[in-house]
Amino acid sequence: MLKIKPATGQFKTELSDTKAALHVVNLRKRFGQLEVIKGLSLTANQGDVISILGSSGSGKSTLLRCLNFLEPPNEGEIWIGGRQIQARAGATGQREINALRINLGMVFQTFNLWLHKTVLENIVEAPIHVLGLSKAEAHLRAEELLLKVGLADKRHAYPSQLSGGQQQRIAIARALAMEPEILLFDEPTSALDPELVGDVLKVIRALADEGRTMLIVTHELNFARQVSNRIVFLHEGQIEEEGPPDAFFNHPSSPRVRQFLSSQRDGYHR
Amino acid sequence: MTLLQGFGDQIIAGAITTLQVALTSLVLGIAVGLCGAMAKVNGIGALRWLADGYTTIVRGIPELLIILILYFGGTVALTALLGRYVEVDAFAAGVFALTIVFGAYATEVFRAALLAVPRSQIEAAHALALSRALTFRLVILPQMWRYALPGLGNLWLTLLKDTALISVVGLEDLMRKASVAAGATHDPLTFYLIAAALYLTFTSVSLVGLALLEQRAGRGVRISE
Ligand SMILES: Nc1ncnc2c1ncn2[C@@H]1O[C@H](COP(=O)(O)OP(=O)(O)OP(=O)(O)O)[C@@H](O)[C@H]1O
Ligand SMILES: [Mg+2]
Repeated sequence: MLKIKPATGQFKTELSDTKAALHVVNLRKRFGQLEVIKGLSLTANQGDVISILGSSGSGKSTLLRCLNFLEPPNEGEIWIGGRQIQARAGATGQREINALRINLGMVFQTFNLWLHKTVLENIVEAPIHVLGLSKAEAHLRAEELLLKVGLADKRHAYPSQLSGGQQQRIAIARALAMEPEILLFDEPTSALDPELVGDVLKVIRALADEGRTMLIVTHELNFARQVSNRIVFLHEGQIEEEGPPDAFFNHPSSPRVRQFLSSQRDGYHR
Repeated sequence: MTLLQGFGDQIIAGAITTLQVALTSLVLGIAVGLCGAMAKVNGIGALRWLADGYTTIVRGIPELLIILILYFGGTVALTALLGRYVEVDAFAAGVFALTIVFGAYATEVFRAALLAVPRSQIEAAHALALSRALTFRLVILPQMWRYALPGLGNLWLTLLKDTALISVVGLEDLMRKASVAAGATHDPLTFYLIAAALYLTFTSVSLVGLALLEQRAGRGVRISE
């Protein structure tokens, strides 16, 4: 049962014991009887780029979706550094959830740009209505981001007029426009034609180089290896193995990880 | 004035009344329909139950009967309430009855339209910390129009024509003016044809307007050639 705490207008600002950008403690998520995230804890420091790997159904998407309460977790704590907003599952009001969401930019596998709005409108809506930016400020910010993702000439296009790769770069710009502390990517290139994957990965790589804190669920092993400083491998809702990319890819200790890696490599040869 | 044996002005006045009743009922009915749809889709137990009862009852009874029941029921209720005989204004009664009818059918149209908005579009709004109200206004409402418009268009045509039913409770609408003129001049065919031509004009113009609205609501959905 999820208890909704009455809105007090104040967020809990207890001091976290870590200075981590993101600190997840004992997160649990059940769908009916099925427990999908089983007491998972994870810490991301400022500037960490963590790739989350795991086979289908291991709970990667659910983990990301629990962090911003698209799926309310059943148990656990989520701390976002800096402002130290605490979202305690089971006692979290809408204001706290929104404060959490402002700090967690989400990029979906299927982009999810609003189809009835132009590229520019997609980017400015949330900054105007949530952050209270003026139209002029929001547009300025949007134009800068469009330059950054290399799509300034598409500002007045509708999503349906763009390729998947272009839509995903706009979706990244839309998330960035909220200036979130942390970016969450859920298989950002899985829905793309192979020739469009590179452009999107380039944008994500540039964000990593800027020192942004990111959690990336991906099946692009080479990319994960190059861009991240840590790999987390999920198995049945728990962290099976984690470590720096070199150690993870070269000397995984878990047989499951070894099996996963070899099956993925086979996939590439085909 | 010999135009239509002096009944021209009357017919025009009736046509204007018809349009006024229809347009007022449309606006109010859309509001009722949106509320009904939200009650059905998001509502808690009692609200949903209420909305289900409303649409089931209204859609299961002939419009003419609803109009009569609301008109005479309204008279009885107001008389009891105020302690003296009150005759309900035909215009108000007509708008009320047509709003109730239109609202019930619109509830179903909007309900289907609400459910047709893809979950992913709404999740994108939530992920950007947009509140429920903002998500509804910025994402759900504009997208559900696209799904609702064809159905609403049909309901509007029905509504326009159903205004003729209100003449039974004395509304001086196009239908009533035409039948008065028909009786007075002993030339019913002419006046009923004129009335028919006017209804047809209104509905045809509506169809054109509707096509334009649908085009606008489809913005960004079709890939432009
Ligand atoms: N809304 C839901 N209702 C019920 N079960 C769900 C729901 N969402 C996910 N699941 C289940 O939770 C498990 C984990 O799903 P999840 O989508 O997190 O996996 P994943 O690791 O992202 O897989 P993939 O690589 O295929 O995207 C699966 O067994 C899935 O069927
Ligand atoms: Mg997934």
